[in-house]
Amino acid sequence: MAGFADLNLPQGSDKKSLQALLETAAHLGYSAVALNHVIDFKEKKQEIVKPVSPSELFPSLPVVQGTSKRIKVLTRLTLVISDPSHCNLLRSTSPNIRLYDIIAVFPKTEKLFHIACTTLDVDLVCINVTEKLPFYFRRPPVNMAIDRGIYFELLYTPAIKDSTMRRYTISNAISLMQICKGKNIVISSAAERPLELRGPYDVANLGLLFGLSEGEAKAAVSTNCRATMLHGETRKSACGIVYTVKKPRKVEEEETLPACKKAKTQA
Amino acid sequence: MALSEPAAAAATFERRVLRSAGEHHYLRVWLELPDGGARPSAAQFKQLVVSALRELHGEVGAALPVDVLTYEEKTLSAILRVVSSGLVKLWSALTLLGFYQNRRCAFRVLQVKPCGDWIGQQ
Repeated sequence: MAGFADLNLPQGSDKKSLQALLETAAHLGYSAVALNHVIDFKEKKQEIVKPVSPSELFPSLPVVQGTSKRIKVLTRLTLVISDPSHCNLLRSTSPNIRLYDIIAVFPKTEKLFHIACTTLDVDLVCINVTEKLPFYFRRPPVNMAIDRGIYFELLYTPAIKDSTMRRYTISNAISLMQICKGKNIVISSAAERPLELRGPYDVANLGLLFGLSEGEAKAAVSTNCRATMLHGETRKSACGIVYTVKKPRKVEEEETLPACKKAKTQA
Repeated sequence: MALSEPAAAAATFERRVLRSAGEHHYLRVWLELPDGGARPSAAQFKQLVVSALRELHGEVGAALPVDVLTYEEKTLSAILRVVSSGLVKLWSALTLLGFYQNRRCAFRVLQVKPCGDWIGQQ
């Protein structure tokens, strides 16, 4: 079984609060988290910096509760795109972009949502949960995204903070579910404080509120997150990722096989 | 969905089969509050749970039969009982509760079971 993962911890906060967040996440049972670096093109020129190396930031990572493994920390880049020209950055092979484990886009308009789902080389498409949807989801781009192995991300921290945002979160989630039928959903936190994080089973239960089935809701915090991570890894290799795991001691070794044609991201 | 995590202390496990689905579900929860804040009394705790239900599910949610079976003010841990059909409502309401008296708080759900056999053990 894939472990639980939270693919969105904001990186902007200082190191001490980040350490507290990591400790809480490990204590709640998350076996992997992703540190999110957001770039909004609307604000002045922002450069894509190199991702901070988690091992540099934290010499000793906390141990995941219930296991003997340490929590896995990934890096993630989120691009807020409000104009088609912003996509050029993703198409060009910028060296710094390739260093991130996961790349997400936050499309602001329907046209950009279509582009993100159909052509952009990304792993996650963020769904706006803090305001009323500016457009309706349409079936073709969503189906295309599901075929390409791109996942849709819903955040739950805004729903904890404010009752109006809670309404938007639930209504936007339900309208997405009508189109994607519960497939390819990732629920993550974007929590800035440890008290805003919730346990993986709590989040899975929240998925039921969004209209997911029990299995889909649990997949939204476990297997779908793993698939997203693997999808991100395929970008760094030629065509795919194959993991071999030694059975008795479970030591993970990484091997990439250039022979396989298609990225196998299904867990 | 595997809802309950094994108790760390109990090394032996026993398998229980219910002939029919239980009427109630039991939740062992722990309220996390920042240090130095006011701690709710038992009555205030129940009120907090009901207000969380009302906030998310409205009057129908507030009318849900929820009982606080045990509550310890010192550790802020409690055992709640709810009719099985209202489990998702209660659980989601607890998850989305973010404030107690304008201070941040979080409900940590430790265990969810369809039978309450550990109530006497604590």
